[in-house]
Amino acid sequence: MSATAYGWVVLAAPLVGMLIIALGWRVLPGRSAGWLGSAAIGVSFLASVGMLIRLLDSPEESRALVSSAYNYVETAGFRADLSILVDPLSVFMCLVVSGVSFLIHLYSISYMTSDQGFARFFAYLNFFVFSMLLLILAANFVLLLVGWAFVGAASYLLISFWYRRGTATAAGIKAFVINVIGDVGLVIGAFLLFDATGALDYAGIFAAAPEVFAENDGKLVAACLMILVGAFAKSAQLPLHTWLPDAMEGPTPVSALIHAATMVTAGVYLIARCHPLFELAPTAADVGAILGTATLIFAASVALAATDLKRVIAYSTMSQIGYMVLGVSIGAYGAGLFHLMTHAFFKALLFMGAGSVIGAMSGIQSLDRMGGFRKAMPFTFVTFTIGALALASFPLFSGFFSKDEILAYALERGGLYAILGVVGYIAALLTAFYAGRMVFRVFFGASVPEAQELERGQLAHGTHANPATGEEEDTDVGFPGAEHHIAEREWPMKAAMAPLALLAVVAGVLGIPGVTDTLEHFLEPTFEGSRFAEVHPSTSAELIGLAVGGVVAIIALAAAYRYFTGDPQARVATRERFAGVHRVLINKWYFDEIFDRAIVRPVAAFGRFGRTVVESAIVQGVLVGGTVGIVRAGTSLARSIQTGELRFYAALLLMGVSGLILYFLLVSS
Amino acid sequence: MLTIHLSIVVFLPLAAALLAALLPARVGRWLVVGAMAGVLGYAIAMIADYEAGTAGLKYVTDDNWISELGVRYQLGVDGLNLFLIALTALLWVPSTLWGAARISERPKLFLFHMALAETAVLGAFCAQDLALFVVFFDLMLVPFYFLVGQWGGGDRVRATTKLLIYTLVGSLLMLAGAIALGVLSAGGGDISFSFAVLEQRTLGEGTQQWIFCLFAAAFLVKAPLFPFHGWVVDTYRATPTPVLVVLSAVVSKVGVYGFLRIVLPILPDASAYFQDLMLVLAVFSILYGSVLAFSQEEPRLVVAYSSIAQLGFIVLGIFSLTDLGSQGALMQMVNHGLVVAPLFFIIAALSARAAGPATLEQMGGMALRAPVLAALFLVVTFATLAMPGSPNFVGEILILFGAFDDKFVYGAVGILGVVLAAVYMLRIFQRSMHNRAGPGVKPAELGSLELAAILPVAAVVVALGVYPQLVLDRTERATTTKVAPALTAAGASDSEISEAK
Repeated sequence: MSATAYGWVVLAAPLVGMLIIALGWRVLPGRSAGWLGSAAIGVSFLASVGMLIRLLDSPEESRALVSSAYNYVETAGFRADLSILVDPLSVFMCLVVSGVSFLIHLYSISYMTSDQGFARFFAYLNFFVFSMLLLILAANFVLLLVGWAFVGAASYLLISFWYRRGTATAAGIKAFVINVIGDVGLVIGAFLLFDATGALDYAGIFAAAPEVFAENDGKLVAACLMILVGAFAKSAQLPLHTWLPDAMEGPTPVSALIHAATMVTAGVYLIARCHPLFELAPTAADVGAILGTATLIFAASVALAATDLKRVIAYSTMSQIGYMVLGVSIGAYGAGLFHLMTHAFFKALLFMGAGSVIGAMSGIQSLDRMGGFRKAMPFTFVTFTIGALALASFPLFSGFFSKDEILAYALERGGLYAILGVVGYIAALLTAFYAGRMVFRVFFGASVPEAQELERGQLAHGTHANPATGEEEDTDVGFPGAEHHIAEREWPMKAAMAPLALLAVVAGVLGIPGVTDTLEHFLEPTFEGSRFAEVHPSTSAELIGLAVGGVVAIIALAAAYRYFTGDPQARVATRERFAGVHRVLINKWYFDEIFDRAIVRPVAAFGRFGRTVVESAIVQGVLVGGTVGIVRAGTSLARSIQTGELRFYAALLLMGVSGLILYFLLVSS
Repeated sequence: MLTIHLSIVVFLPLAAALLAALLPARVGRWLVVGAMAGVLGYAIAMIADYEAGTAGLKYVTDDNWISELGVRYQLGVDGLNLFLIALTALLWVPSTLWGAARISERPKLFLFHMALAETAVLGAFCAQDLALFVVFFDLMLVPFYFLVGQWGGGDRVRATTKLLIYTLVGSLLMLAGAIALGVLSAGGGDISFSFAVLEQRTLGEGTQQWIFCLFAAAFLVKAPLFPFHGWVVDTYRATPTPVLVVLSAVVSKVGVYGFLRIVLPILPDASAYFQDLMLVLAVFSILYGSVLAFSQEEPRLVVAYSSIAQLGFIVLGIFSLTDLGSQGALMQMVNHGLVVAPLFFIIAALSARAAGPATLEQMGGMALRAPVLAALFLVVTFATLAMPGSPNFVGEILILFGAFDDKFVYGAVGILGVVLAAVYMLRIFQRSMHNRAGPGVKPAELGSLELAAILPVAAVVVALGVYPQLVLDRTERATTTKVAPALTAAGASDSEISEAK
């Protein structure tokens, strides 16, 4: 089988899985929908490995293969095939996405067992994976848009999965609408490129771009900025980020899969995919780098104060994606994608651990209510800690190598980029601190009643309530299930978390400075010809960077340990001393409020104005007086434009019509 | 190549209805529905028979009708009307079926009017002679007047009066325009109303302009576009569901179809002259319709205003005066019909399950007990908001690319409508299907009639999303030839302006 044939299998497997589950949900017994869904993703992963092997077999210069199924849209010069592009970048993304997705499917089989929407969940999840793989494999902008929008739709469906919760459905709509803004950006960007190059497929555009665009050509910069709008909406970067924290309303496996490991990294993929354009439009690339850096520090600061465990991880995701965006915007493609991969491992792991803890807390997500789970949940404790250490880029964990590779690259490029790199190190300090905060507040300190019960072998089953509002929920009719599940008792959850924990520790070996550059070397054919191919921090510079990063991480973790396991009174005192800062952070820098005032309310007011004033003017005014007036105006218009007998007849006819209208008005009133 | 007599296709429903009048209602009902299914069969055969890239008319019928006035009975099919005929044929079947099952008051008469309406609409789409077009266009008024007036709900008198006045004014204006066009273009020679002849003849710019206004008024009222939509609210409230389905999905397309069939090729200079005005109307309709759609409490009105926005997109595409834009507009005419029809059936299903009057307040939480309804509603919702992967996306992206090409600002403002569509469509989906069920909501799965009306059309939507080229292949030649004269005229006036500078 050729690499592209494997590519089609990668796409087909989750689609078929989704269809079988969606159509057969009534007859599929027990947990079989979950196993079916997982198997479908397993097939995808194996086919991705098949692509990898085929690609490695072929010489480096022929590692970009396009396969077209049929002409999807072809009219009047607009041409987009249903075609896939198999190259090192797409294969790498397919491996990460299908691999992590498979493990999360496995985890979900346990986690969602008692949920009434079990089969629906797996149908959505398979649909999501299909869409994500379509986004990655698409060979042109139109198909990219299809995948792009489908993942948005899947995300909407999964965020509002527990649709009896008003908070969940509202969060779903918010996420979807912001994603549509991104789609619109991409459509405009695609048009600008199409207009200049006459092509919609990557190969055609990238080949024509250097011919038709001068460096920093206004049109190209505009196109790239529009692509950034798409990328930032999907990847929750400033200022299109407000949906991601709310998206935590979805079940925890969804947060792990879509809102941490895969979908939200699509923006990073897109920038990397379009790198020939961004290199031609350095201004746009700089905008990307600056906003990415702004996001990474902003989100890290909010993560310090947020009290909802899942939201802390969500802000951490935004922050880490900021690093990736910084990386791929400054030309550190290999490093950015390396971080994308390690982040997928440790962040999925963190969410899975959080899910396990939330299970033990019977749905409660507030850090304030947690504590002392170390003894009660040893497996969750160990794996979660591994994830947190990788996030904090503790020496020798995977995040340690990948994050520092980005920052070393930024410093190497100097100037503005060096400043961004320094900001990256400051945020790294915050990152390690909040990573420590999660571990120490959840697993250390005095045991909360739920932890004590669990130590006695009893899994808590409190009344079921919406963690956001405290509203009680009727689990008999589902949403979410009555029972909770923890990794300690469910082998599929363990089986999903163990490999991720292992990868979170060792994935760094793909890029140890001076020792290995496996990943970067594999990706090279995609980024061949990049003007930054020659920019390379020296091994000694990278090692110094690593040393600095390691020291930063250790200091911050130590500080977090002292602060969060120490005297609680001191914490209260600190919070009071910095009350102003704390208020800004806890309100997420007031982004939601600003958008509400600046956009949502004016549009709603316009709607009310239209409904009450304009409509009544048209419906009443135009009907009674207006129609006659329009007809009269039309008559005189015709008269003024044209002379001749026919005009007179037309006018006569119009006046006849006016009479008719008057008659009808009299009759009807 | 098949031999198809279009007269049979057009008059089959009417003939069946007349025959059915003599039979008992139970038998007659099936006769009429059967005839409509026959029309659908013809339409499918035509699509299959129509080779991609075909130019010119097929299955032409051309006879003298009123030779003194140069009026001919001329019917034909090309890429421009092929899919609109198919849309008509497809949607009349479930609508009539629905009506036959649900309407107990004078069912025979109801069926007769539905059949007459189909004949009139098919005639208007097939007509290749302006006078014949006007006859069918005005004939449409008659059955709809009775259908709304007799079987409507709520304030049906007010609704029919408004519908009648608005469309009658439009029709009469168009009549005047048609006569003027035939007479003036003849220039003292033989009067002809045949589109093919009219396209060859030329008219002075001033003449073109006022005739354009007459036609535009008729078509914009039919569509409708802001500010010609005064009849919409009352009509959409009062009209019975099966009638509303065809009214909104099909009849509204006759107007915009008229722009492509008549106005652009026959009045190219005027089309170029009024291009900006039409684009402003289109863009304003998109924004206005979208914003109002999400402040409505009645689902029917949400769809009503969303239709104004959608028709705005179609007019945006047509008056971008580009090949891409008009291809997108034609595609979108079909798509809008295909999503609006199931939407209205779904809204009828929702209203039947609502706690009180059919407002969003009285709905909610239905997905739990009616997952199939929810799934179909979801598919249609995503298609309506033109999600990539739906046929509506293909239509909209072609329209937008066409608009961006020369009129970037209009396209850029219009694209906001895409974002707003996501808001109002998800809003009605969420408010009816999700959240907690209100106390009086009676959620129940779709009945067999509801399923039979909704599922096939939704399936067509999905199929077109997978292979939109089915439509584009067959329409391309026709639309590009119809746009070409106006495109040239617009290009000429642009170069004049640049020369003047």
